[in-house]
Amino acid sequence: METRATDASAFEFTGRGSEYFRIWIVNLVLTIVTLGIYSAWAKVRRLQYFYRNTSLLGASFDYHANPIAILKGRLIGVGLLIGYQVASNTSPLIAVIAFAALLVVLPWLLQRSLVFKLVNSSYRGLRFRFMGSVGDAYRVFLLWPLLGYVTLGLLFPIAHQRIKAYQHGNSLFASSAFGFSAKVNDFYRIYLKLFGLMLVPLTVMGIVLGSLNFASFSAEGGRDPGELGRTMMQVFFALMVFYLVIFLLIAPWFSARMQNLVWNHTALGSHTFESHVRARDLLAIYLTNFVAIVLTLGLFKPFADIRLARYRLFHMGLRTQGDIEALLAAEQQSVGALGQETADVFDVDISF
Amino acid sequence: MSTSPSEAQPSEALRVNARYFDGRTARAHPVTLALAGDKLLLRGDGIARADDIGALHVSEPMGAAPRLIKYPDGAHCEVRDHAGMAAMLAASHHRDSWVVHMQNRWRWAVGAIVCTVLVLLAAYRWGLPVAANAIAHRLPAGALDEMSQATLSVLDRGLVRPTQLTSERQSGITQAFARLVPPQGTDVRYTILFRRGGAIGANALALPDGTLIITDQLIDLSENDEEALAVLAHELGHVHHRHGLRQLIQGSILAIVVSWYLGDVGGLAAGLPTLLLQARYSREHEYDADAYAVSMLRANGISPRRLAAMLTKLEGTRRSGQAESDANPPPSPHGTMIRDYLSSHPATQERIEHLNSDVR
Repeated sequence: METRATDASAFEFTGRGSEYFRIWIVNLVLTIVTLGIYSAWAKVRRLQYFYRNTSLLGASFDYHANPIAILKGRLIGVGLLIGYQVASNTSPLIAVIAFAALLVVLPWLLQRSLVFKLVNSSYRGLRFRFMGSVGDAYRVFLLWPLLGYVTLGLLFPIAHQRIKAYQHGNSLFASSAFGFSAKVNDFYRIYLKLFGLMLVPLTVMGIVLGSLNFASFSAEGGRDPGELGRTMMQVFFALMVFYLVIFLLIAPWFSARMQNLVWNHTALGSHTFESHVRARDLLAIYLTNFVAIVLTLGLFKPFADIRLARYRLFHMGLRTQGDIEALLAAEQQSVGALGQETADVFDVDISF
Repeated sequence: MSTSPSEAQPSEALRVNARYFDGRTARAHPVTLALAGDKLLLRGDGIARADDIGALHVSEPMGAAPRLIKYPDGAHCEVRDHAGMAAMLAASHHRDSWVVHMQNRWRWAVGAIVCTVLVLLAAYRWGLPVAANAIAHRLPAGALDEMSQATLSVLDRGLVRPTQLTSERQSGITQAFARLVPPQGTDVRYTILFRRGGAIGANALALPDGTLIITDQLIDLSENDEEALAVLAHELGHVHHRHGLRQLIQGSILAIVVSWYLGDVGGLAAGLPTLLLQARYSREHEYDADAYAVSMLRANGISPRRLAAMLTKLEGTRRSGQAESDANPPPSPHGTMIRDYLSSHPATQERIEHLNSDVR
C-alpha cells in the first residue's frame, strides 16, 4: 500500500468503518420501518459521508441531491420495474416488447442519471456538470454494446472505451472540461489479458464437469440413484468455486487495471489525474472483505465499503498545473432525479 | 438587521477557524467564525459577513469530515476544528436531528441491528410465504404450462424413461383416481403420466400445471391400488396449494434480496444461503399436501394409513441408496435433488407418525 502518487496531490479519505457502520445500520432500520420511503434520505446521507470525507488539495467534496427528487425517481423506477414484470408474465410477445422498450429508455435514463449525479456534486463550492448528449447516450449505451454482443464480445472493448469516453469526456467542473485520452488499443490490451486469465478456470471447469459421469444415470435400471444427488451437489459446488475464482481473483485484477487505465487518461483542463492501484492489493481487500461479510452475515458490508474506498482514493491523485483556484464558477442547472433512481432500480452500474 | 453592530461583539472563547468559499470561485479564504447574539460573524482577509443563524444550514457531523455551514447565497464554510465547532453550536442552541443522535451512539446501532434482524426474520417467516402465495395464484395458466413442459422435457431427457406398465394397469389407476371425490369441493385440473424412474427411482412428482408423474417402481412398491392413489392424492395436494410455484417464487425473491444486499459480493454468496433457507418450506408443504391427501382419502373411505405405509416403504428404499422418496414439485430437477438431500430425511418419520396418529 506504499505506492502513492508522490509528485501529485493525493486524494485523502477520512471515512471510518465504525462511524459509517452506525450511519448505515440506523438508516437501514429507518428505511425498513418506513417501508422504503426513507431510503432516499439514507442514500443522500451515505453519499454525503463518502463525499465529505474525501478531500483534495485541502478541500472536501459535497453531495447536494434533494431526497424528495430521489424518492420521486425511485417510485417511478419501482413502477417501471413492476410494469415490466407484469408485462413479461402475460405473454412471450409482450415480454419481448417490454424488454425492447426498456432497452430503448435505458440510455436516456443513464444520461439523465449522469446529469443528476454530477450537477449534485460539488468541490470548493462549485458544481460539476455533465454535457453528454442523449444521442450519444444511445450510441454508447445501446448501439456499441449491441455490436459487442453481436460480434460475441469482439467489439466489446470498443464499447467500453466509448462509454468511458462519453462519461469522462463530457464532464465539467465549473467551467473547466474533463478530457479522456485512453485509446481503444489500451482497452483491447486489458481485455486480451482478461480472456487469457479466464481460460484457466474455464478449462479446469470443463475438465471437472466432464469427469462427473452423467451418462450412468440415464443407463438401464437406474442403478445407484443416490449418486445423482451427490453429483448434483458436486456440480453445484464446482460452479460455486468457479464463480468464486472469477469473482475473487480475476475481478479485482480487472478492476485495478481499468481504474488505472481510465484515470491515468483523464484530465481536468491542463491538470491530469493519476491512479496507481495494484491488482494484488485489491485482491487482498476483496478476499478479506468477502470472508468477513460472510462470517458476519453481512454486517461487515459498511466496513468493507470504507476499506475499498480508502484504498482506491489513497492511490489516486491530481497533478496540477498552475492555480486551480483560479477556476471560475459556472452557472448551475437542475434536473429531476428520475434517471439516476430508475437506473438504480434496474441495477445499472454507472461507475464514474 | 435589528441588532446594532455595537451589541454584536463576538465572545473570544468561541472563535473558530474555517475556510470560506464564496460559491463563485474555487478559492479558499481562511476566516474565523464567532457568535454574536443570533448572528454568525465571519472575518477574513478582505471578507466580513454577519448572517442570521436561523438562515444558515449546518451539516450533520460525519466523523473527521468537515462540518459545512451553508449560506443561502451559495457560499459555504468548511470547519475542521470539531471541538470549536461543537462549542459554538452548543452556544447557539443548535440541535442535531434525532437521526444524528442515533447514528452517534453504539447503543442505538445495536438496537438497530436487533430491530433489523427481527424485521427480516418476520418478513422471511410470514411475509415471504404470503407474498409467494399471492403471486402464485395470480400467474396465468399459460405460464404454468410452459414451466411444466420445460421441467417434463428435462425429466424425459434422461431422468425417467417410458413406462413399462401395461395400458390396462395405467388406465386402471387413472380411472380409480378419477372416481375419487376431491376434498371439500376443490377442483384441481390434473393429468397422470406414467414413467419408468431411471435416476429418480420409486417416486412421484407434481408439476405446477397439474401434471402428476408416478414411476413404475413406485407402483411396484405399492401392495394395492389404494396405496398408489394415496400418493397421487398427496401430489394433487401440492398442485392444489401451488407448492412448486410458491417454492420457485420464494426462491427468486430470496435470491434477489440476498444478492441486492450483498451488492458487489454478488450472487456467489447468494446461492448457498438461499438454498438452506429454502429447505424448511418444503417440509411445511409436505404437511399441507399430506393434509390434503388425508381429507381426500377420508372422503372416499380410504384409510390415511395407506399414505403412511407408502412413505415407510419409500423411506426404506431411500435408506438403501435412494436419493429421495417422495418428491416435491420441482422448480428444476436439480433443485429438488439438492433440497431433499438437505432437508426431508428427518421429516419423513414425523410425517409417518402424524399420519398414523391421525387415524382414530
